Amino acid sequence: MLLRYWPESTNIKFMSLRMGGALLSVIMITASIFFLASRGLNLGVDFAGGTVMELQQTETVTVESVRAAMPFNAEVNTAVGTDARPIVVVKFGAADPAQLGDEFANLAPAAQAERAQQVTNDIVARTLKDKLGLTDSDFLRDDSVGPKVSGELFRSGIMALVVALGLMLAYIWFRFEWQFSVGAVAALAHDVIITLGVFSLLQLEFNLTTIAALLTIIGYSMNDTVVVFDRVREERRKYKKMPDRQVIDQSLNSTLSRTLLTSGTTLLALFAIFFLGGPVLRGMSFALIWGIFIGTYSSIFIASAIVLSLGMDLNKKPAEEVTGFQGIR
Amino acid sequence: MLQFPAWKICLILGIMLWGTMMALPNVVNMSGAPAGVPKQGVNLGLDLQGGVYLMMEINPDEVVANRLEVFAIDVRNALGNKDGKPLIGHLSTVEGRTLNIELTRPDADGKFPMDEALTRIRKLNSSVEGAIGGAKTYEVEPAGPALIKVTVPATAEEALMKDALAKTMTIVRRRVDPEGVSEISITPQGNSRIILEAPGEPDATRLKNLLSRDGKMTFNLVESSPSAIAAAEKGVVKPGYRLLSGPQTGQLLVRNIPEVTGADIATASQGYDDGNRPQINFRLNGNGAAKFYQTTRNNSGKLFAIVLDDTIMSAPRINEPIPGGSVRITGDFTLEEAQDLAAIIEAGEMPAKVQFLDQRTVSATLGQDSIRAGIRASLIGLALVAIFMILAYGLMGIFAVGSLAANIILIVGALSGLGATLTLPGIAGIILTIGMAVDANVLVFERIREEQRAGRSPLTAVQAGYERALSTILDANITTFIAAAILYLLGSGPVKGFAVTLAIGIVTSVFTAFVLTRWFTVMWLKGFKPKKFAL
Repeated sequence: MLLRYWPESTNIKFMSLRMGGALLSVIMITASIFFLASRGLNLGVDFAGGTVMELQQTETVTVESVRAAMPFNAEVNTAVGTDARPIVVVKFGAADPAQLGDEFANLAPAAQAERAQQVTNDIVARTLKDKLGLTDSDFLRDDSVGPKVSGELFRSGIMALVVALGLMLAYIWFRFEWQFSVGAVAALAHDVIITLGVFSLLQLEFNLTTIAALLTIIGYSMNDTVVVFDRVREERRKYKKMPDRQVIDQSLNSTLSRTLLTSGTTLLALFAIFFLGGPVLRGMSFALIWGIFIGTYSSIFIASAIVLSLGMDLNKKPAEEVTGFQGIR
Repeated sequence: MLQFPAWKICLILGIMLWGTMMALPNVVNMSGAPAGVPKQGVNLGLDLQGGVYLMMEINPDEVVANRLEVFAIDVRNALGNKDGKPLIGHLSTVEGRTLNIELTRPDADGKFPMDEALTRIRKLNSSVEGAIGGAKTYEVEPAGPALIKVTVPATAEEALMKDALAKTMTIVRRRVDPEGVSEISITPQGNSRIILEAPGEPDATRLKNLLSRDGKMTFNLVESSPSAIAAAEKGVVKPGYRLLSGPQTGQLLVRNIPEVTGADIATASQGYDDGNRPQINFRLNGNGAAKFYQTTRNNSGKLFAIVLDDTIMSAPRINEPIPGGSVRITGDFTLEEAQDLAAIIEAGEMPAKVQFLDQRTVSATLGQDSIRAGIRASLIGLALVAIFMILAYGLMGIFAVGSLAANIILIVGALSGLGATLTLPGIAGIILTIGMAVDANVLVFERIREEQRAGRSPLTAVQAGYERALSTILDANITTFIAAAILYLLGSGPVKGFAVTLAIGIVTSVFTAFVLTRWFTVMWLKGFKPKKFAL
């Protein structure tokens, strides 16, 4: 006997709930913008610059001993490492040029600005090695990013998001109609803003892998939206007299089972990463899990709702089969 | 949709065979396999195998300034007493991106020999390699009655930077890997950056120390007349000289323009002195040996400083002319220091100092832990998805799980075959693909269910299900592929690894879900001819 976890045919009036959805989205977007403006993002070293060192916690290497050995101001904390043993995490920015030795003090200010982080990192590494008797292999991780690269990484990350949105807009326009394209991209922007808002609210670390996660959310949300749109287009052509609202509701209901199944399997895989993939992947899998929920929600309440308000031209044109991909068969 | 002619089946089996062959070295040791069989598994990124990643940059200002310093030596030779032409007295200084040549000796009529000096300097000016219209490397212009300014124009600078980057890369390679045996990869990025990736467990601090030195080696004469030293101590340094110091020699007044430079060094190596302490031996090339001999012959009794990056390494007194060009530096070196210094001297001078922008170090243990966590998460994710699919779709679910397994083999095979690098986010990409790969199957199965509900027979329902789902599957996957492609183009390091697995995963999952599962289904339908289709 197969598991029927969802009735074969549902008849939920999604579009009559769309005002409620719009209200909820407006609240979430406003809150996100508020958090982004007031608390900002907790930028990791990739984007903010600075150094993160991770040391295995031992009898001699503890938060206290590292704090005592540090030559400069630093944030020293414990965390759980990939193999579930505790580690000591040391975070610091560039030290004051006056503290970095004579050789450094003689450099031109421009060279100082760029080199300070690396020089600070080297001094800290040397001091910790001397005072705590560490060797290179005791440093589980040592990431040190200067201001120039962190700025570039941030810009290229934002650029990637914008270019991705632009290309998807173009693709949907090409495959469907402009109303669909507007709906899809509005849904994507909605997802990205709200995800950023959640990162700001919870002050989760925002780094390069988070950008990767955001782009994947975009891809996933788009995937979901396209499946719905495909069905809307098909039903629209099939039932020429039916009002748009009913066509969209019917399409959403008939794709609902698929949407839930796919989200379900993807979530299962993502929960496996979240709980078992170690701390490095936790931020990324959290973003993706969140993205699945918000992406599914936005295909219904943002993308489809916008298409409904903008109206469709499909029924006014003579019915034509989609021929774009037929040749592949 | 339901026809699988022999060639199609061969193609499917061929693809699967290729994927399996490529993926095999990742699970089995293939070192004993016959030739032609792939033996290499997936390349692991530094975050999975541990290692050091360094991003370095060379500064255009410094490249230009260093080039002008070298030009100053040529200018000195050209303005010297040569081929019967008289010497033109001058003083050269490099200021920022300009070389100032100040003529110091007026002719009998009180005028400076500007025209003659300009002619001789301009003769040195060469064309920029590959430039159109014969653009020159230097711009030589008079800037006063006794001043000549030499600058480097933009076109020449571009060529200079290209050249400097290539040279720096060679020098970086020779310094960090003098034997040429390690797996260190050194790649250029843009026109001023170099990325070094050293897998395993190298010493990041030692690597940086090796690379942060200019490696500018010179042999300079020392001025030791008591009056000049006394003046220098009061702050009046004799023109053309400067004060340098070294751990063994203390402060010395050293002539600015060297007699012999590092460019004339043929080889350098670490050796031992009579007391069995590490020292550095090196040998000059023919040109250098001749200059060295000449200098030692003409300057008997003076000190001859061996200077590395403005630090005096040693300053022996010249007792007699030294032919042959064999030189050694003794001192208080540890073995490691002497080895590194020898590598630095042999590799030669950097066109400009490298500056480190980004350093990432991951220990090998952390890398192994990450792999283990990644594999565990993948297996559990896969098991959960498999159970879910079988519960939801029964026999068809088993087909889907079969093609999911094939999908993973193909992803691993493609990663190995394409020589792509697997990173930790890349493993996450594979797990995500496991979840999303099911999507294409789900789309089709849901469609078949609908068609069956509409009263169609199993065969026609399957036919219609696949036909109707195709455009949706393609649309949905192309959009995700766009995201992956952008990630690959604009991302860096680990993110690129994620993009690669995601992109490969999209292609393979469309293949396995749409072709492989369909083939399984059709074989079953034709073999068992079921009246009703349990789905």
